[in-house]
Amino acid sequence: MTAARPVPVPDERSAPYWDLAARGILALARCGRCGRFAHPPDVVCPHCHHTDPGFTFEPVSGRGAVRSWTVVRQSFLPGFDVPFVLVDVALDLEEDDDVRLIGRLVDGPDAPLRSGAEVEVTFEQLDDRVAVPAFTLADRTRSVHSERRFPRQSEHTERLAPVDEP
Amino acid sequence: MSGRWPGRNRVAVAGYAQSDICRQFDRPLGAVAVDTARRAIADAGLRVDEVDGFVASSLLPSAGGHAVVDGISTVSPHWLAQHLGANPRYAAGFQGYGQLPGSVAMAVHAITSGAADHVLVHRALHNPAGSYHGNTMAEAKGQQQWTMPQGFFGPLAMIGLAANEYLQRYGATREALAAVVVEARKNGARVPWSFWRDRPLTVDEYLAAPLVSDPVGRFDCDIPVDGVAAFVLTSAERARDLPHPPVYIAGLASGQPTRARLPLHWPLDDIVEVGQETARRLWAGAGLGPADVDLPQLYDGFSPFVWMWLEVLGFCPVGEAHRFVLDGGIDSDDPEALPVLSGGGALGNGRMHGVPQMLECYLQLSGRAGPRQRPDIHAGLACHSSPHYGGAVLYTGEPT
Repeated sequence: MTAARPVPVPDERSAPYWDLAARGILALARCGRCGRFAHPPDVVCPHCHHTDPGFTFEPVSGRGAVRSWTVVRQSFLPGFDVPFVLVDVALDLEEDDDVRLIGRLVDGPDAPLRSGAEVEVTFEQLDDRVAVPAFTLADRTRSVHSERRFPRQSEHTERLAPVDEP
Repeated sequence: MSGRWPGRNRVAVAGYAQSDICRQFDRPLGAVAVDTARRAIADAGLRVDEVDGFVASSLLPSAGGHAVVDGISTVSPHWLAQHLGANPRYAAGFQGYGQLPGSVAMAVHAITSGAADHVLVHRALHNPAGSYHGNTMAEAKGQQQWTMPQGFFGPLAMIGLAANEYLQRYGATREALAAVVVEARKNGARVPWSFWRDRPLTVDEYLAAPLVSDPVGRFDCDIPVDGVAAFVLTSAERARDLPHPPVYIAGLASGQPTRARLPLHWPLDDIVEVGQETARRLWAGAGLGPADVDLPQLYDGFSPFVWMWLEVLGFCPVGEAHRFVLDGGIDSDDPEALPVLSGGGALGNGRMHGVPQMLECYLQLSGRAGPRQRPDIHAGLACHSSPHYGGAVLYTGEPT
């Protein structure tokens, strides 16, 4: 039996992010002082350095471009079958806030990847309350979703249906 | 800040000791650290009671959640001073990346300010039993919630992303990583205390080893070891009255990115931009440039860092280091090349966290490298960590 993947533990700054992720929505923290996106939401705004940033969470498209990737062949965490692909994604945002997310590419290690490849967010269900953002190649999105090719990482994942996409 | 660094030429390295480097000591790390410190102090011609400053980083650089026990898995400067029976006026730990340049900087500041006369800088590294980075954590809290549940964890994935960004952007190959690793192992095989002594590596062996986090393979990563090194630093004036030729500290610099990122997300542009700023400060403060350095010892805890240090320091243009190393540019046996791994580095010695770079500078510049002594060495540079978080110290055989 494969051990379960580590689950995120929401805190006062991150709870809305994980609540929305569980509903299949990628939302980013926007600073209430300078209006810029900040990921992750820290105790101080990374842009204007305000100590009371008053973040609000705003849904984003979840589309982005691959800046880099790596195929992980030796995992140091429970619940991850190797090999798997991690992508470093620059999210498409109206603002030039350089928000990067790193997540699994659910298309697997044989997917055709290149710098600049377009991806969109998808979600991996860890249990009935927790979904973690991941990515899929944009031009393959439909077939991936229709086949429900969610990675088989744990018994939890296999037992539960994927969430609906936003 | 502009102008020359006021600390230059005022502090020198007066002595050293290096333990054997092995996978696991048959004695507690602290016991080896005390023995090594005693040898370094004696090497400098001093008694323990004359050493009034202790500086070190005691970080155990593992993501595996291993217990941190002073004297067993780490050795803090305070622990070392107490167990040597010393009563220092100054004992302080360095926190942050670039642990060895950071510690040297603190020692320099203590000596130039008069807070201490003779400072022992040490580094004690431990290889805990079990998986070094493997972690069974079931919950990801705090900063780790943004990366661990997603599968991004530990330094291998970190360097895999940065290295692949370099490969994709500049068309580099794994053969150009092999050129770094094989050079490090060639030199490490000649180092008597190295874990890899008498064990060089061929390109074929490198390419046959398994990938860990593409394009990074097993031999691109320094091997975790037990090992201790210690150096005695003092004022340049006092150093001239001690037994060995002083090696002067001619410059130092470190960096810190201002842009917030996910934990362990080290994009190539951050590494290069912040690293170039660190290099600019280093050269400006020392009044020297890359052409003045005949022994640049670049950090190689992961092999791609050597490319990145070559570029940020100005030894070759950005994007060309991979060709430079493939063309024999870092061959320590070629008098026309840059011997950036002549001391074997981390890949050729074991995970000693910047020690091989500093030690090679000291040994070559003091004329104490024995059969490995290189002729006409005037200035060495010891780098540690990634260019954007780490640091570098410039050493010279004569005051600049």
